[in-house]
Amino acid sequence: MNSYIAFTKKELLENFRTFRILILVSVFFLFGMLSPLTAKLMPEIFKSLALDGIVITIPDPTALDAYSQLFKNLTQMGILVLLLVFSGMLSTEITKGTLINMLTKGLSRSAVILAKFTVAGVIWSLSLLLAFITTFGYTAYLFGNANLPNLIFSIFCLWVYGLFLLSLILLASSFTSGNFGGLTLTAVLIVIMMIVDVFPKIHQFNPIALASQNVSLLIEKVNVSAMIPIVIITVLLTLASLVGSVLIFNKRKL
Amino acid sequence: MHVLKLDHVSKNYGNLNVLKDLSFTVDEGMLFGFVGKNGAGKTTTMKIILGLLESDSGEITVCGEKVSFGDTLTNRNIGYLPDVPEFYGYMCPKEYLKLCGDITGLSREKTERKSEELLELVGLSGVNRKISGFSRGMKQRLGIAQALLNEPKLLICDEPTSALDPIGRNEILQILSNAKKYSTVIFSTHILSDVERICDRVGILNEGQLMLEGNLSDIKDRYRQNVINIELYPQFSDIGEIKLKMEHLPFISSIETENHSLIIHLDDSTIHNQSLLEYLIKEKIQIQKYEVGEPTLENLFMEMVK
Repeated sequence: MNSYIAFTKKELLENFRTFRILILVSVFFLFGMLSPLTAKLMPEIFKSLALDGIVITIPDPTALDAYSQLFKNLTQMGILVLLLVFSGMLSTEITKGTLINMLTKGLSRSAVILAKFTVAGVIWSLSLLLAFITTFGYTAYLFGNANLPNLIFSIFCLWVYGLFLLSLILLASSFTSGNFGGLTLTAVLIVIMMIVDVFPKIHQFNPIALASQNVSLLIEKVNVSAMIPIVIITVLLTLASLVGSVLIFNKRKL
Repeated sequence: MHVLKLDHVSKNYGNLNVLKDLSFTVDEGMLFGFVGKNGAGKTTTMKIILGLLESDSGEITVCGEKVSFGDTLTNRNIGYLPDVPEFYGYMCPKEYLKLCGDITGLSREKTERKSEELLELVGLSGVNRKISGFSRGMKQRLGIAQALLNEPKLLICDEPTSALDPIGRNEILQILSNAKKYSTVIFSTHILSDVERICDRVGILNEGQLMLEGNLSDIKDRYRQNVINIELYPQFSDIGEIKLKMEHLPFISSIETENHSLIIHLDDSTIHNQSLLEYLIKEKIQIQKYEVGEPTLENLFMEMVK
């Protein structure tokens, strides 16, 4: 337990000194600022693009548009940045051999996996929270108070999805070699989840919904009750891939 | 007491037999030199002892506890210096040692005290730079400091002196031989003079088998040849004439000449050394150098791996 805490502290320091925290927090803050602003300026942008004779009429932007922008940014670029920043958290240590000293000091391999998941998860949570709070405040300022249904739940879904991806990176890195094995395999899994989404049977339970139905939740096209099973399944999958990474990593030759 | 015991350990990589039925023990307080050419299986052996690799068969115990792969409990008694130690480059030495201390479960005061002491010992005290800017030699020194931090009963060093300059090598050897005071040391190398300088026992590994194992002086005694080398002053003596005269001495079995040197094989050097010296004085033969032939580890090693 003590060694887990020590290694968690080391992970925090590492993410801080290698600027991973800075990158993630500033990117997410930027999304938080930009999303309401883009929504507000969208009609202006279209106006300036309007060609002779073609009139594009756009309804006045609302708070919903601001959050649509936010979810679009977070589920695409946001997730990509998250993957890139944390893709090497385990594999670099394996390829460089920095873990050898730690493990031969008696640090257990499960503590390595759990500490890395803890710290990456905390950073992801804070970044997401920051993006949300920024958008929330700025939207209220630009568009006035809007009471959108399921807003918190929709963010919560994205949060669970991010944690799921982090556990996938760890699982993939626990048995692939090289620096990019974890990233590649996780990306492949995401693509597979997108492809199989066309099958209605899978669609009902596909974790990808947590990052694609966010706006549908806001306009109540999708009910919370329909998402609950997916959240439960994703949480279970996250736990399973964490347990899996520990088991596989325990048997890995270093 | 055996600090380390290997019992019929074997390891294959695919078809390649890296270790074949390897057994040996290392006793407390020993400085054990583990010698072998590149690819002989030294690193593999060490990694199996540390539970980083799995052996195919056999059993290893460290301080009486069985080593099992993937579980690093026995490592609390071990300090390990990898051949190329890698650190977190964004830390400075003190921070790194603090992390090591926390992980191994030392108290804060002890970690601090040991860190000071060890950084002083390896010549890194007062270095507060980030490790990423360290040279290979500095990393090696820090590697020794981290390996000794938890006062391990067994210190395992994988080729600690290769790739260091002569001064650095000397210092590292000095540190290892000091470390013997508190722990048993195993170090692997292919530099034989290092072993001769500081080791008590030596094991020669070749093709996954221990060809020779034992006390360094015993081994030398066992392989001692009764040879005396005498180098003469060429201006004072005729080497051919001396050779002819000496060949008839009863205690000499044969003589060879090489330039201005006589290579004399005695029946038994311990007894007849004296007779030979007396003869040289009596005959007033001017000698430049008189040397009792010692088997070098180098020669033994060559013999073993042939």
